Amino acid sequence: MKVNDMSGRVKENMPDYKKDKKRVDGRKMDELRPLSIKVGVLPNADGSAYLEWGQNKVFAAVHGPREALPKHTQNPYKANVKVTYRMTTFSVPDRKRPGPNRRDQEISKVLSEALTKAVFVEQFPNTEISVFVEVIDSNAGSRVACLTAASCALANAGIPMRDLVAATGVGKAFNEIIVDLNKDEEDAPDAVDIPFGILPNSGEIVLLQMDGLLTKEEWAKVNEMGYKACKEIYEVQKKALQEQFVLSEVSEQNVEESVEKKEAEKKEIEKKESKKEAKEDKAKKVRK
Amino acid sequence: MKKIVVPGELLSSERKRLGSNVFVSNGKIYSKVLGISEDADEKASVVPLQGKYMPQRDDVVIGVVSRVIFAGYNININSFAESFIPRSAMRDDLKMGDLVSAKVDDINELKEADLGFPRKMFGGEVIEVTPVRTPRLIGKNGSMLDLLRQGTGCEIIVGKNGRVWARGGNLELLRKVVEFIDANSFKSNLTNSVEAFFKAEGITVSAPKKESAPFATSKKILEEETEVLNADEAIGEEENEVL
Repeated sequence: MKVNDMSGRVKENMPDYKKDKKRVDGRKMDELRPLSIKVGVLPNADGSAYLEWGQNKVFAAVHGPREALPKHTQNPYKANVKVTYRMTTFSVPDRKRPGPNRRDQEISKVLSEALTKAVFVEQFPNTEISVFVEVIDSNAGSRVACLTAASCALANAGIPMRDLVAATGVGKAFNEIIVDLNKDEEDAPDAVDIPFGILPNSGEIVLLQMDGLLTKEEWAKVNEMGYKACKEIYEVQKKALQEQFVLSEVSEQNVEESVEKKEAEKKEIEKKESKKEAKEDKAKKVRK
Repeated sequence: MKKIVVPGELLSSERKRLGSNVFVSNGKIYSKVLGISEDADEKASVVPLQGKYMPQRDDVVIGVVSRVIFAGYNININSFAESFIPRSAMRDDLKMGDLVSAKVDDINELKEADLGFPRKMFGGEVIEVTPVRTPRLIGKNGSMLDLLRQGTGCEIIVGKNGRVWARGGNLELLRKVVEFIDANSFKSNLTNSVEAFFKAEGITVSAPKKESAPFATSKKILEEETEVLNADEAIGEEENEVL
């Protein structure tokens, strides 16, 4: 099959994905990779989240609000949301050099701007809310995974927010508009990758970057599919946050059971002791 | 019905009285934090489940002296901003690391707390809990606090900033019970389960049935004040804005 990309180049020998309307990894066009989030995983952080999204694995930790240091970074009108994005050296096929590079700095900046839109920063003057996101494993779309995890960690830290931030990749590969591109699709000759982050309730866009070219019609479709996918992600985030609290009474049964257990243990210990005593008595008698 | 809400979740599309931790956008009321909301209430409000301490007027707090300077003492009250007590306000001299109990007189625009009625705490230990969960350590009319005092025999002051000061009695048991309350703070009927908890430890306590809040008659005026103030908070008698 021949694929025509925007530049007019023709690539041959591409598999015919259009025929069965499935993608390289067997997903439908608007299907996300399996996503799971767990919050409150790091005891030393004020709030934290662990996210698995396809092959992506991300930890997010939130500290603060705390005094912003050095002092010249303080803003008496609002808090700084400082995001540190870091990829571990083993998160990509070729070893990534440790230490922040140009890409890491850029992602930290755009994530910080996206999260600032969601947090009520004006409630915390002269402070800094530090967010650390660490990519353990990656396969395209790590910045949206980090944004999704970071917003969960912020909510878990009890920081007042307008909304959670849900983000996903949308774009074009092999002449199809698709959501949540994986690495193979991102490397397609005609690939267009758009990290797309929104506040789901108000529909405000907080993260939008594009790499490639789209027609007006294609963009309309991308926009629509992006919103739909983000709503799905929002539901997962919500569930993860609610899951840690099960609204029920401390069941009295359990406590009663534990009381019974303790009494049983006591009795057993007494029994053992009496047995011991009996044994000792016997031993004494034998000695006599 | 009670339910767990996440930040940005819609609480009500109707006009309601505004409680704490909510915001209004386009005439609808949304939650600001992760917490518990009762949608049958006439007031839209959220009880937060997690979060750092934000000082509010009339809070009783336990502070730690973090720096001694010529004019007075810098006090860490577990908030992002430090507080200051002038030397003239204290009868006793303070060292770094000393414990102080005080009441928040006022908050300025930078959310820094002015402290009043500072008192040095002699001896005792501090147990740290999640600040937003301290109302559950006090209970309605201080019922939980009475239970803790009965069960452990400790002198207890609960600071709104997530520090519980205790002296004498069975501190180890108190630590356990406070941890239990902290971990189960989002559940209802906590007083009964704490009673059961004590029972499992072999101590019988009974929740006192008080009709009114206790009066400040003893020497421990501040302590009693703590109870009354915090008990009011626990029931939710805050100043209300009207939408």
